[in-house]
Amino acid sequence: MDNNKKQDPTWKQDFPIQSTQATQVSRRDFAKFLCLLSGGLAFGNLFVFSKYFTEKTEKIDEQFVCNTNDVPIGGTRSFILKDSDIPYILIHLEDGEWRAYEQKCTHLSCAVFYKPNTGKIECPCHNGWFDAYNGEPIQGPPPRALPKLDVVIKGEQIFVKSPNKTV
Amino acid sequence: MSTFRDAQNNANKQKQNQLSSVFIFLLIFIVTLQIWLLYTCLNSALENRKEVLVPATIMSCVLFLAGAIGLYFLPRGKYKK
Repeated sequence: MDNNKKQDPTWKQDFPIQSTQATQVSRRDFAKFLCLLSGGLAFGNLFVFSKYFTEKTEKIDEQFVCNTNDVPIGGTRSFILKDSDIPYILIHLEDGEWRAYEQKCTHLSCAVFYKPNTGKIECPCHNGWFDAYNGEPIQGPPPRALPKLDVVIKGEQIFVKSPNKTV
Repeated sequence: MSTFRDAQNNANKQKQNQLSSVFIFLLIFIVTLQIWLLYTCLNSALENRKEVLVPATIMSCVLFLAGAIGLYFLPRGKYKK
């Protein structure tokens, strides 16, 4: 066998792979690849699992946004929280209530806007709609409700804080 | 002299062929299920629903192990390295 190898040209000794071996994939190799893919998906699942249980969500203390007379009825105001770059939107609903939501659509993170006199928040990218009273999706591709902040009004001042979780 | 394994292989020469094909279809089914589980897992994590997150993760790992064990025991036929 060693004699045969010696007869091969140098390049063939360096690359001892047949062209058929390089171009054709056996079913066992394909099964191995599928198994690897399966392992990757299981690892991804474990990653999401570990991230969920290890990541602690920071509780937002009351943060001043604006005064009540700064936002007319049916109007909105954008704001960001301290030490964060996530945009939020404060909405003054037609019945006088206030709501604050993250201004990113839960579908593909497009900016959402309140449509006055409808009680709905619109995502113009893919015609997604949310209920302005609870943030739940009511039409279109968004899969989840908009993350919400609690609005606290103290006199003329409006504050937002982490929502009180209800089970 | 024929061993038991050789005799088995000779009795049904298509065995490895059929097993490989079925196993590949099974793996494709497993991968499809895992994609669905991962999608569900991500949505559950974002919705803070851990009652779905935990079983989806366990199921995904079990499916991977089933596939890996199946690959380990898949007959090699007359393949010699």
